[in-house]
Amino acid sequence: MGSDRLSNNIRKLRFENGQMTQQQLADQVGVTRQTIIATEAGKYAPSLPLAFKIAQTFGVPIETVFQYEAEDS
Amino acid sequence: MSKLQKSAWTNLIAVSMCAIVGGAGFSLLFLLNAKGIDYIFIFFIVGSLTSLGIYMFYRKKSPEAGFDEREKMIYKRALGLAACALTIFLGCVCIIPFFVLGGQNVIKVYYLPLIFLSTLFAAQFVHSMAILIQCSMEEENGQ
Repeated sequence: MGSDRLSNNIRKLRFENGQMTQQQLADQVGVTRQTIIATEAGKYAPSLPLAFKIAQTFGVPIETVFQYEAEDS
Repeated sequence: MSKLQKSAWTNLIAVSMCAIVGGAGFSLLFLLNAKGIDYIFIFFIVGSLTSLGIYMFYRKKSPEAGFDEREKMIYKRALGLAACALTIFLGCVCIIPFFVLGGQNVIKVYYLPLIFLSTLFAAQFVHSMAILIQCSMEEENGQ
């Protein structure tokens, strides 16, 4: 799944966007709250379409939300 | 609790109840030393109703309908584990008696439906448990 190399700022961005709850974000991107929880905790690497939807919801580029670190770096 | 977890719990409870009722039913038939032909009509009705129920359920919606991408991934992974469990369980149940009893020995016909039921139960149990364990592992830090 590669979740150990994919970090994210979803939690920070939620609070910067009017204290958005996990449920509100989940409703806006069309997934369950559990998926947002798992993604936020880095336990699930979302698909590209979902990652873009999350970035669009916050109105920021995808690289602001997700950061990928290569294994050898 | 997500829809996937609810369906896993429902499946686990339903399969457990079916195993208990089925096991008790076959035990009763065994005690009565019943011949299957006497009960073929009952089996036909129960089988038809069950098939109709399954058909109506799957025609209405696929089991994955309403799941998001992560839940579909968990569901498919659990299906793979259930298939492994089914193969291993069936293999053990069919091969162990060969070595324990010997190739020339016989077993009662009573064991055949029990093997079928227990294999189904094992596969469904592993499927439901795999879903519940995966969900809890991914959500344990959630809030």
